[in-house]
Amino acid sequence: MRSIMKTSFAALAAASIAATAAIADGHQLSGDLKITSDMSNPAPRAVMEGLVADFGALHPDLNIELTIVDREAWKTQIRNALSANPPDVVNWYAANRMKPYVDAGLFADISDLWAEEEFAALASTKGAMTLNDAQWGVPYTYYQWGVYYRKDIFEELGLEEPTTWDEEKANCQAILDSGRKCYTIGSKFLWTAGGWFDYINSRTNGYDFHIALASGEIEWTDDRVRQTFANWRELIDMGAFIDDHQTYSWQEALPFMVNGEAASYLMGNFSVAAFREGGLTDDQLDFYQFPVINPDVDFAEDAPTDTFHLTSGAANPEAGKEFLRFVTSADVQTKINSGDALGQLPVNANSSIDDDKFLAEGFEMLSTNAGGGIMQFFDRDFSAEMASVGMEGLQEFMVFPDNLDDILARLEDTRQRIYQ
Amino acid sequence: MFPTPIEKQSRGMQIGYQAFLPVALVLWLLPLLAVALFSIKPDADFANGNFWGLPSSFEAFNNYGKVFFESNMPRYLLNSLLITVPTVIGAVALSAMAGFALGVYRFKGNLLIFFMFIAGNFVPFQILMVPVRDLTVSLGMYDTIRGLVLFHIAFQTGFCTLFMRNFIRALPFPLIEAARVEGIAEWRIFWYVVLPLMKPALAALAVLIFTFIWNDYFWAVVLTQGPSAQPVTAGITEFNSQFRAAYHLMSAGSIVAALPPVAMFFLMQKHFIAGLTLGAVK
Repeated sequence: MRSIMKTSFAALAAASIAATAAIADGHQLSGDLKITSDMSNPAPRAVMEGLVADFGALHPDLNIELTIVDREAWKTQIRNALSANPPDVVNWYAANRMKPYVDAGLFADISDLWAEEEFAALASTKGAMTLNDAQWGVPYTYYQWGVYYRKDIFEELGLEEPTTWDEEKANCQAILDSGRKCYTIGSKFLWTAGGWFDYINSRTNGYDFHIALASGEIEWTDDRVRQTFANWRELIDMGAFIDDHQTYSWQEALPFMVNGEAASYLMGNFSVAAFREGGLTDDQLDFYQFPVINPDVDFAEDAPTDTFHLTSGAANPEAGKEFLRFVTSADVQTKINSGDALGQLPVNANSSIDDDKFLAEGFEMLSTNAGGGIMQFFDRDFSAEMASVGMEGLQEFMVFPDNLDDILARLEDTRQRIYQ
Repeated sequence: MFPTPIEKQSRGMQIGYQAFLPVALVLWLLPLLAVALFSIKPDADFANGNFWGLPSSFEAFNNYGKVFFESNMPRYLLNSLLITVPTVIGAVALSAMAGFALGVYRFKGNLLIFFMFIAGNFVPFQILMVPVRDLTVSLGMYDTIRGLVLFHIAFQTGFCTLFMRNFIRALPFPLIEAARVEGIAEWRIFWYVVLPLMKPALAALAVLIFTFIWNDYFWAVVLTQGPSAQPVTAGITEFNSQFRAAYHLMSAGSIVAALPPVAMFFLMQKHFIAGLTLGAVK
């Protein structure tokens, strides 16, 4: 922690120098800069408007035109917006979600930006921003996934945070013996099961294998995939998950943990606010990184990343690039991710974060202990159609593990249809 | 008369009826009661699973306050009003005139036109989704209140005309003939003779269309996008944030959204029932 603070200070200093340099350059920026953002919820909207105001103050000659589109609506509008009279900069998501627009030539290649020195601090998501050996956007925020658990139950049973799969299973057995369930999950809307698959698969076979599977290069019936499901099945056969989880949404599965009927939840950091509202204090709630399964592969973490992109039809690419430099700088990322703004994690490793133990643990984990790579989550890494069929299969597997052969055959059919 | 009125049945049947009525009522209203209960609960009750118990704290003022002062709900309610009222006026006015023409005049193709109005009712509107969206986009009326109103009027007029035409057919035709003998212009016959007689039908239809349009969700989602034009039925999803659904606020919002048609029904009850029986008894 201390070392992080130190580097943050150093970085802040460095960033302010960089910022002055930017101001020096900035005098040449003029004309219009059109930005279309999907940060439409109240807090993100304020962040986006603040960003534009600050950037505008740095570049007084630049006329910035900001359009904010409803976040859900943007998912269908983006193609239209990019192909006819495109803005200079747009919001989108990392990894496979940007593939259609990269393939269609709608996003601009910004590998030259990533080659700049300051971008080394964004290394954790470089893989997620890379397609066809080039980078196509910059990250501005993400949040960690991991196991949130009831510290008081662990203490009552004398358990430690597990670091290996065997410890995880031993802990789980102890929790089951005490009459509780190990994990709560609500798989009604499928995606929660995707989180479990991401973690078990990447811990079993590694990040590269996981991404290769996501991009359709590996057969679902491959023995290594089967190994992932075999590991998962160990937990299912123990009865580790709550009963009837297919009938709950992720929110409806919260009470099991809040009321102490289940001890942990594999979830994103947005769940912390809900836990706290449900009455859990920071003494009762804690977080650990998903444990090692195969010691030969490095940690890969789910951290869905939101991004900015320069469009290929941008009328003012210079100003657009300068804006991308601006939103990735350490102090800007610190500011926009603070608790009263987005309340998430800055991607820039030199940023500092709010005094919150979950944010602190998440930031440290993603900046220093995710050497394998950053996954974007099942439904962002896999193509949309594969993800929807895939997540149905994962849910079915969790309820009827004996159907595995059927499920894998079905997923393999889908893969061949989609990717070939 | 069937069914036999309950007061003429055996005592046993009456007791059974009296016992089951409250049960059926509660069962029937259970979802609504749950929503009402949820709307006064704090967010915490949903995180710790207290769905059916007493609220851990009484948050009615807080929740409804947020709905009215910290969300776009007032704007959505206004949109709903701006969509519903013109639609009711437009659809009822057009169909009264169309109904008059189809009910009073004999001309070639009268029946054919009437059948086309009826046939329009049998087209499931889901299959019109894509063409209608494209049409509104190319007319530049996508995501506007105007676009939604025009479409609703066009679509509701079919049903309204069927209703109006049959109602006018049932009116005593000699009244119109008498007026004609006096040499009164046709539009004055419509305005001074037929329209006053149609008042119960107009009221009934207005209430009906008001509820239809107010409760419309499908077209609201297809044709509008944001607080600038979206009615309350679609706007209620605004309480789904990026990660979590605010059930308590959504419930409070639903109650607020459901009140106008309910109030409308109670206020216009007399007309509503008068309209129904007037149409039925010749």
